[in-house]
Amino acid sequence: MDQDNRVLTRRGARELSEQEVETVTGALKIRRTLTPCFVDSRQQLINGDQAIGECGP
Amino acid sequence: MKLIVLAQEDDNHTAPLKWALEKAGYRVACWGGLSWMGQGQASIRLGSNNSITLGQHSVDPGDVVWIRRPEPPQSNPKTLEADKKFAAQEYRSLYHSIAFLLETMPVWCINKYSASRMTIQKSVQLQIARRCGLKIPDTLMSNNPEEVKAFLRRGGRSICKGFTPHVWQKTGQTSVAITETFEITGDQLPADEVLTYAPAIYQELVPKEYDIRMVLMGNHIYSYALNNTKKALDWRQDAGFGHVSAELVPTPPEVEKGILEFARQTGVCFGSLDFGVDAKGQWWFLEINEQGQFLWLDQFNPSLKIMGKFCAFVTAPEGSTAPLEEREDLFPTLKEYEDLLSREAVPPLARPHSEDPFLSMEA
Repeated sequence: MDQDNRVLTRRGARELSEQEVETVTGALKIRRTLTPCFVDSRQQLINGDQAIGECGP
Repeated sequence: MKLIVLAQEDDNHTAPLKWALEKAGYRVACWGGLSWMGQGQASIRLGSNNSITLGQHSVDPGDVVWIRRPEPPQSNPKTLEADKKFAAQEYRSLYHSIAFLLETMPVWCINKYSASRMTIQKSVQLQIARRCGLKIPDTLMSNNPEEVKAFLRRGGRSICKGFTPHVWQKTGQTSVAITETFEITGDQLPADEVLTYAPAIYQELVPKEYDIRMVLMGNHIYSYALNNTKKALDWRQDAGFGHVSAELVPTPPEVEKGILEFARQTGVCFGSLDFGVDAKGQWWFLEINEQGQFLWLDQFNPSLKIMGKFCAFVTAPEGSTAPLEEREDLFPTLKEYEDLLSREAVPPLARPHSEDPFLSMEA
């Protein structure tokens, strides 16, 4: 993939390694799952402050 | 009176709050959103007797309706291909008819749907915040390369962020990239055409000493100073790693006045707000998420009792000015719920049920 051709926001995104994702969601199974930007390692979902409802953001 | 929550029962905020309210003797009904299946079906009856029925629950005078996070409407997958687009629009229309009609009923909506749809727009919230006397950073929202370049040339440091969060996952891997606020200079901009691939928000960088997460509950405002040991521009990922602590702090009178006016002008009575505080102690309004997460504050600092405050808020009369602290101890704590959760004595929390709009796969 041509990284120079990615949207700007992707370029500034924070990279989380597999281990980091597990740190948040595996070792801390219950704690911190309610935070504003929780990434679910099994489904790779953001479950955080924003939700796109039935008619968009 | 009962509380009707528009969210799946196993939503990570709905489940503990429902449990706490029921323990305290209140009735709570959950409706996950409009769907072709049994409990997702809904009806509006208009005539001599108006009524709304959501699954098996009727909406009755005096009810409180918390529009937390309903799932997008789901039409029947057996609908013929030729009819699917029409059916989807009809489902959407029925949902809108319900959500907006609720505002006209003798119930208390948290928040009113029209208010939430307007206020969720970042341009609207920044403009109204400014009008209410709150300090906001200079902001550009654009897909126009010339405008972006001019903004970054104006002097001072700038950040870039998206309108919505997003996760990119590499195919076959579990490592991810997550949108985050980042500093940007004119020299770092890609080719003009790339700036047209996705609009973005460009803002003056607020020289933050620390962040504030504020929770608005009617006439009550609670401000929490967030100490991020990583000192990142965006504390939200670091919160997940446990690098952030939360402490109740007083809200400056001029900020409180501005937020109460903001609530009046937008019509929202509940929300999670973010501020940055600079070295001069000035509070900069950054954003509001009207259904943002808030129970994590109790996970980080149980003495805050935000769960008890929310329970007290939704069970008090609309517009009540009585301190929520007077009733917060009527409800069990998040810690008690989590103890039960760890022993599997309450159902597990679930993940979003529908396809995630915030996820993309990449090679």
